[in-house]
Amino acid sequence: MSTKLIDLQHISKSYGDNLILDDMNLYIRENEFLTLLGPSGCGKTTTLRIIGGFEKADRGIVCFDGQDISHLPPNKRQLNTVFQKYALFTHMTIAQNIAFGLKIKGKSKAYIDDKIKYALKLVNLDGYENRTPDSLSGGQQQRIAIARAIVNEPKVLLLDEPLGALDLKLRQDMQYELIRLKNELGITFIYVTHDQEEALTMSDTVVVMNQGYIQQIGTPEDIYNEPENAFVADFIGDSNIIDAIMVQDELVEILGTRFACVDIDFGTNTPVDVVIRPEDIELVAPEKGTIEGVVTHLIFKGVHYEMEVLANGFEWLVHSTILVPVGTKVGIHVDPFNIQIMNKPESEDEEVAVFDE
Amino acid sequence: MNKKKLWLSGPYLFWAVCFIIIPLCMVIYYGITDKTGAFTLENVLSVSTPEHMKALGLSLLLSLISTILCLIFAYPLASILAGMNKNQHSFIVLIFILPMWMNFLLRTLAWQTLLEKTGVINNILTFFHLPSLEIINTPYAIVLGMVYNFLPFMVLPIYNALCKIDKNVINAARDLGANGIQTFFRIILPLSLPGVISGISMVFIPALTTFVISNILGGGKILLIGNVIEQEFTQASNWHVGSGLSLVLMVFILISMVVSAILDKDGEGSL
Amino acid sequence: MKKFFSLQARRIYIALIMLFLYAPIITLIVLSFNSSRSRAKWGGFTLDWYKALFENESILQALYNTLAIALLSSVIATVIGTISCIAINSMKRKSRTVVMGITNIPMLNADIVTGISLMLLFLSLGLKFGFGTILLAHITFNIPYVILSVMPRMKQLNPSVYEAALDLGASPVNAWFKVVLPDLLPAIQSGFLMAFTMSLDDFIITHFTKGPGVDTLSTKIYTEVKKGIKPEMYALSTIIFITVLVLLLLVNKTPSPEKSPGRQKGLYQLTQKPGFRYASAGFLLLLTGSGIFLGMSRIKEPEVQQVIVYNWGEYLDPEVIEMFEAETGIQVIYDEYETNEIMFPKVAAGTSAYDVLCPSDYMIEKLIENDMLMEIDFDNIPNAVNIGQQYYEQSKGFDPKNKYSVPYCWGTVGILYNKTMVTEPVDSWSILWDEQYSNNILMQDSVRDAFMVALKLKGYSMNSMDEDELKEARDLLIEQRPVVQAYVVDQVRDKMIGGEAALGVIYSGEAIYTQRENPDLEYVIPQEGTNVWIDSWVIPKTAQNKENAEIFIDYMCRPDIALLNFEYITYSTPNDAARELIEDEDIRNSDIAFPDLSLYDHLETYDYLGEEGDSLYNDLWKEVKSQ
Repeated sequence: MSTKLIDLQHISKSYGDNLILDDMNLYIRENEFLTLLGPSGCGKTTTLRIIGGFEKADRGIVCFDGQDISHLPPNKRQLNTVFQKYALFTHMTIAQNIAFGLKIKGKSKAYIDDKIKYALKLVNLDGYENRTPDSLSGGQQQRIAIARAIVNEPKVLLLDEPLGALDLKLRQDMQYELIRLKNELGITFIYVTHDQEEALTMSDTVVVMNQGYIQQIGTPEDIYNEPENAFVADFIGDSNIIDAIMVQDELVEILGTRFACVDIDFGTNTPVDVVIRPEDIELVAPEKGTIEGVVTHLIFKGVHYEMEVLANGFEWLVHSTILVPVGTKVGIHVDPFNIQIMNKPESEDEEVAVFDE
Repeated sequence: MNKKKLWLSGPYLFWAVCFIIIPLCMVIYYGITDKTGAFTLENVLSVSTPEHMKALGLSLLLSLISTILCLIFAYPLASILAGMNKNQHSFIVLIFILPMWMNFLLRTLAWQTLLEKTGVINNILTFFHLPSLEIINTPYAIVLGMVYNFLPFMVLPIYNALCKIDKNVINAARDLGANGIQTFFRIILPLSLPGVISGISMVFIPALTTFVISNILGGGKILLIGNVIEQEFTQASNWHVGSGLSLVLMVFILISMVVSAILDKDGEGSL
Repeated sequence: MKKFFSLQARRIYIALIMLFLYAPIITLIVLSFNSSRSRAKWGGFTLDWYKALFENESILQALYNTLAIALLSSVIATVIGTISCIAINSMKRKSRTVVMGITNIPMLNADIVTGISLMLLFLSLGLKFGFGTILLAHITFNIPYVILSVMPRMKQLNPSVYEAALDLGASPVNAWFKVVLPDLLPAIQSGFLMAFTMSLDDFIITHFTKGPGVDTLSTKIYTEVKKGIKPEMYALSTIIFITVLVLLLLVNKTPSPEKSPGRQKGLYQLTQKPGFRYASAGFLLLLTGSGIFLGMSRIKEPEVQQVIVYNWGEYLDPEVIEMFEAETGIQVIYDEYETNEIMFPKVAAGTSAYDVLCPSDYMIEKLIENDMLMEIDFDNIPNAVNIGQQYYEQSKGFDPKNKYSVPYCWGTVGILYNKTMVTEPVDSWSILWDEQYSNNILMQDSVRDAFMVALKLKGYSMNSMDEDELKEARDLLIEQRPVVQAYVVDQVRDKMIGGEAALGVIYSGEAIYTQRENPDLEYVIPQEGTNVWIDSWVIPKTAQNKENAEIFIDYMCRPDIALLNFEYITYSTPNDAARELIEDEDIRNSDIAFPDLSLYDHLETYDYLGEEGDSLYNDLWKEVKSQ
């Protein structure tokens, strides 16, 4: 997990006046499961297409294993793609679909037959050789698309929202399936999705993107627990994002009340954003909390109750396994290490979050 | 509900029986009877006379060449059009239908003006001291007329078929290692085949049966099977032979219908 | 899509194809401004044809017919087609395949077979050929275009939408109109547009299903192709083309409301633009409006007297018809044919009851033999005395007792040659075999005239029934083929004027006209003899208005009227009184218009050769043509 297998340097891309990617730098290590995560229009798919060779960057280079491959067409690149909506060849059988890349490479028939069997077994669709893509369900087609890509033994598999068209249950099954596949094959996955849960479940590394900029790169835990800015915090999971002032190291003033925290080096009296995850808020007796509030909404969510607590003019989102009826006066308590301090964004761009999914 | 819907097909079925099936039966009747109304195969068999065979052979040859030329011209054109800015699509497609609003006979006649020995093209050629083009009243002119008149019928179905292809399918083929040519022959061409098939039948059949184009551009020197049939009906007033020969033509049409039915399984020879 | 070619190369390719597609159209537009009547000659810029167009009632009427038929047939076809799509969609697979197969028949069947089969049907149903039959035929071939356009969209339709509407309380009909129809609309519109275009452009099917006096632009043009297109037609086409083009450009300027990429293709997209809807709605309104206006102006009193005339194309001054109608109050329904052979089956089949015909000599004989003519009551035709006696004598060859026919025009067949291309004296048919003029010779594309030339050259009778003689003639004609530029009928005229050929076989009546347009042309009657023909007025047995027919014939024999006709069609008139009235002495004494036949030997008139003779000639001619 050390060498840079793919290295994107200073990539920029625009369509007409529309800037999609702006001076993007990103590297992907060997055998990594890296996810590009972001709302639609953030540039994640374009990034993938530039890696795959379907788009040319306006500026910057793509290196593969140390070599500049910016000018290679897709068929000369040692990577394969699993497309959104599968892009199976409808005029061919399943076996012909899977064999396509191998035939192009001129492999022997026996080898191809072997590979088809192996690939179908891998995706749990043994015996489907002679079916046509039209006769398969969405999930099955998805697996065939994966099988078609992996028989070519690519060093990197690019997946463009591969689970987007599947229903929830199937999507969850396929997530496990993909992790299993990656472990069995031992190749690098670059995965594009707008679904944060998918990203957090499967990835080694998550790259959160918005408006053509990388917002944060890190492990799923980092991204979730320590979002670097309000966009990431808001995009990943539920959170309370509140304007605050960093009074001094390890002390922050939220809505006029001072909270102890663990962050340092923000200077004194600096305006910041504070992120507090709903499950990190403890509801205690009014007098025991840092701030006092009233429960205004209550919903049962299965694993926990979701509540809103009005305190100091802000609706705090709270997840708790303990039921507190609406109208109850409560105190809010947050452990210092659960308060995440973030710098205010420098530009408007970074702040704008487009949630249309 | 379904029963009610089936009932809706009544008007059309009635229409189809009245104006498609019955007339067809009448042609068949005329084709297999003589002037006294007695059954005979002579009319159909008259196709085997050398004159008729020659006309039929020439028709088949010329329409085949025209179809192939149309395909050669239309495919790249359709694929260029399909790759163009989506907003311009409708306009560009209409540009190919637009000439049809100028009368078919006038358009063909205009080619005569263009191609004649002292016509526009030759005047231009002479001006540049180039050798003149002498194809009027030859089979070449007829082929030109056919290609000209039927090209849109080849372009549009292919264009529609190409537009239906998901771009990612092409990307997928490239991704799996196919170069441009391989992608074309293994993916694009097979996927656009229904369009090609319907284009072929929409060019080949009218070309096979035309008599106007050969009349105007062939200078009456070239007798196609369409001319023979037309003359049997309008000049020799021998409807029986005319119908008999029409039946022979219908066999070719039937063959091409069966072929396209087999190749275009969806039955959506789209326009 | 493909990146094999650079953008530049692709642009050039499209430009070339465009040039190919639009070159003829540009030519037609240019011709509409050509002051010369001949297609082959540029005579300077003029707008006269546009003016003439709006004064030419018959073209406007044809335009109205064309648009009315196109509009009606495509609307009806769209309604029937859409309804049947619903039904077909809910059919079982097998029956759907059968129905779709039947639907494909008119599209894939040869137009000529469709046209003929419909003609046979209408004949056997005893329908009156005319607007109605054309409309029926057009609806028939338009329905498949609608079905093939709507069907794919119908299949994509989500059935839940319809059910949702029912669930929300809509009645089935309401649900269909409010929910399903809007979804299908783009497909229906493009089907309609396709049907409209096909109907507009159809010639062959219309040709076989039309009746007298009802012309569409196509059939009108086809009649004119043989005689030379009237420039008004170019003007009209130009107007139509420009109108559509402007509409298109306007539509293209208005932005598309939805930016949905992908599936929707060309016509759909276009039809979804609001601009298109307004434009097309406006266009249709305009069309119907002008249609109603034109139609109204054409509607005459229903009880008015009629005479149905079936004449050669361009064989009567249209002004004369107007004068006749004004003077007598009898409405003339006028229809034209191109050859005797085309006229005969139409009269014989009785697709319509003509009152007056104008066939040639041998055809009159055939009509008499088939007992298809009525005796003319010469008491009702006092002006018949104006016709020179020698023409009645000549007529006895086919109408022995002068009971059935009144001569209208006469003439000879000879060689028209271009003095700048042929310097040697021309006096024999044999020059038409001279290799020196290879590819510069125009032959008549009709059996009898072609064989006449060969038989005369051999010294035989042009009415020969001797198989050996005819075979010799056939071989001679086959031998001639390589030097012949084209076999044409009336196009000899235009081609000779334009200098396309050096020599052509032509009717004497055309010679005067061609000389007027191109003074280099000269007409001769070859020494081996030729055909002297007479076209005469006759009344078929099926005529419903015999009295009116006689009034019409009498009117045509009036000297002043005969003179008007002579000046318009330039064919020799047998009307001596009219000849006296010709002011231009050169023409009155012209050898071409009024040759002294006693100076020529071996002159003959065609005889009717019976069915056997007809088929003998036809078969031999086919052998010549198919070489």
